[in-house]
Amino acid sequence: MSKRGMGRRDFLKSSAAGLGGFVYLSANEKGSPEKGQEKKEGKITYRTLGKTGLRLPVITMGVMNTSNPALVRAALSNGMYFLDTAQTYQRGTNESMLGELLKGRPRDSFGIATKARLPNNQTTGLYPEEATEEAFAKKIDTSLKSLGLDYVDIYHHHSVWVREAALYEPILNALVKAKKAGKIRSIGITTHRNEPEVINAAVDSKVYDVVLPAYNFRQKHAEEVKKAIARAAEAGLGVIAMKTIGGNVGGSYHNPQIDAPAALKWALQDPNVHTIIAGFATFDQLETDLKVLRDSLLSKSEKENLRRAALQSGLYCEGCGKCLGQCVRQLPIPDLMRAYMYLYGYRNLVEAQDLLFSLSLPAGLCGDCGTCPVKCLNRWNVSERIQNVVRLREVPPEFIA
Amino acid sequence: MEGSKTKRSFLPFFVLSCALGLVLFLRAPALEGKTVDFPQMSGWKQDGKTQVFSPRTLYEYINGAADLYLAYEFQNLHVAEYKGEKKAGVTVEIYRHKDPTQAFGIYSQERLANARFLDIGSQGYHEPNVLNFLTGPYYVKINGFNTGEDDEKVLRPFAEKVEEILGEKTSLPPILSSFPGEGKKKNSEKFISKNFLGYSFFHSGYTADYEVSGKKFKIFVIEGKDQQDCRAMMEKYLKQTGNEGQKPSEGTYRLKDSYHGEVALFWKGKSIWGIVDLKDPDLRSKYLKEIEGRGKGGER
Repeated sequence: MSKRGMGRRDFLKSSAAGLGGFVYLSANEKGSPEKGQEKKEGKITYRTLGKTGLRLPVITMGVMNTSNPALVRAALSNGMYFLDTAQTYQRGTNESMLGELLKGRPRDSFGIATKARLPNNQTTGLYPEEATEEAFAKKIDTSLKSLGLDYVDIYHHHSVWVREAALYEPILNALVKAKKAGKIRSIGITTHRNEPEVINAAVDSKVYDVVLPAYNFRQKHAEEVKKAIARAAEAGLGVIAMKTIGGNVGGSYHNPQIDAPAALKWALQDPNVHTIIAGFATFDQLETDLKVLRDSLLSKSEKENLRRAALQSGLYCEGCGKCLGQCVRQLPIPDLMRAYMYLYGYRNLVEAQDLLFSLSLPAGLCGDCGTCPVKCLNRWNVSERIQNVVRLREVPPEFIA
Repeated sequence: MEGSKTKRSFLPFFVLSCALGLVLFLRAPALEGKTVDFPQMSGWKQDGKTQVFSPRTLYEYINGAADLYLAYEFQNLHVAEYKGEKKAGVTVEIYRHKDPTQAFGIYSQERLANARFLDIGSQGYHEPNVLNFLTGPYYVKINGFNTGEDDEKVLRPFAEKVEEILGEKTSLPPILSSFPGEGKKKNSEKFISKNFLGYSFFHSGYTADYEVSGKKFKIFVIEGKDQQDCRAMMEKYLKQTGNEGQKPSEGTYRLKDSYHGEVALFWKGKSIWGIVDLKDPDLRSKYLKEIEGRGKGGER
């Protein structure tokens, strides 16, 4: 029994009560959404996904962490009727699992977003000329086939971290043509780093309908992400937040340092966020998220938990990349800060040394620059940290393995 | 005299052999070192340096898909890109997991049952532009770009060379032989590393898909640490299925699970095995017995 005297099955049953159907708003209801365009029907809170007109529960199920159809069915039957998957999750078997599960369900009883990417340069984030419109169009068709659907509600251009890639014409062309052909209802873009640049590019493109950035209370550049999100929402784009528990910075449902419901609620305090993706993998975690779906207000103790967790993240480099152009020697500072965290935060000498070796750094770092021009947003003394951590290169690996 | 002389001269050899055996057993897997020497391939040139990713940085390479890899005790990833003629490219990714079981787990999550299976590593398969295989704690993924229609001929030599550098061929988890063959969908076996059936109290488990006379169902096997561990799991599962307070004892159970439907299971020793969503009582009983006969249940 829960603290409120309600068992899990009772809870799930009660959450399902008063569900609204999965609807698109009519044309005259669409347009630029106003802040607070939030409706509570029954016990579930809904927001409208910008100009797409999609009315969504404030929590979307991220299916990436499970191959358990029973968990997806439980989410759907409890009002979490929007699902997020990707062609890369379990190499497409995540999409086919959903295809099997959704077979026979009325198409207006659920919504679905999926995503794909083409091979790009992992350093620059840019696409090579082999990344063609045809190749991306094929990805869209493959997703539809795996899902067994005629169309998806959102198709995202997946994992973009530079403006040029966001505006890469062959992919945009493929998405626009698929939208015209009725294969996709809305075009989205996902970004896990350098989010503000990508969100702004999406707004400028006039092609994207939805942005899906990483956004959480542990991001050092959360304020910048927030501003970019506000601009996107103002322009009528739908905003879906991911990694809200901090999955990209060591957070998870199981991390004792993270109050997961508080982290989910933190993102929902931003009225420009229309729904968040929660990647739960157990029925317990689903129950946690359903509670947030009913009540997303942060309590005093939850705020305090978030504040403490944010303080503990003082060693995390979020990889905002602002430092990269500032160093006269063009050092990979985010990587070096990560090595510093492994060494001083986790006391993991092997991991730290592995990373240092993989960076192929020059000798004598930070010893001859005089004043360091790097201004870290965390106000870290980057030069000092680098000089400390690179000493680990001198230790023979067999001493620390 | 002759006999004792032989015994004395044999002893140093025996000790040396044991020591060598122990060293080989404890030998660190190939990629625990600092670098990976990716193979040189005739007609191909490695493009750029080998990229290395750790559990903390895997997100940078595969983004949201990283969560699942981390659930399978991912240790590190080495990536090499090769360039060939006419803009052809091959990417080789070597994922190292904590042990062969975890590597099988993530491999089984991504394995396509209808792919063309190959005799490489513990198991491998090819589909257009892709050749994936499993060997020991390694899950190797090889992708081809502009490698032509019959690209198995291009990708296979890469796979064979990589298999060589990763060491001896290993087999699939022996527990898979516990699954009855009748009605089993080939290559549908999976290892779920945690939260089996969506319940955190179930730890890990193996599952396979079945179809008999048009009826689809699943069979699973859970291996506990010991009998006490299984008792604890059973207690929690009984509570979950509305049988709170019932003291579990070894034997057969038929439970109504609100998420999974009808579940028949058998607990014996440190093993629990069962069937999800099979209503025919005779067939249920037959399968439960067959699993026991195949080696489950005797381990206490």
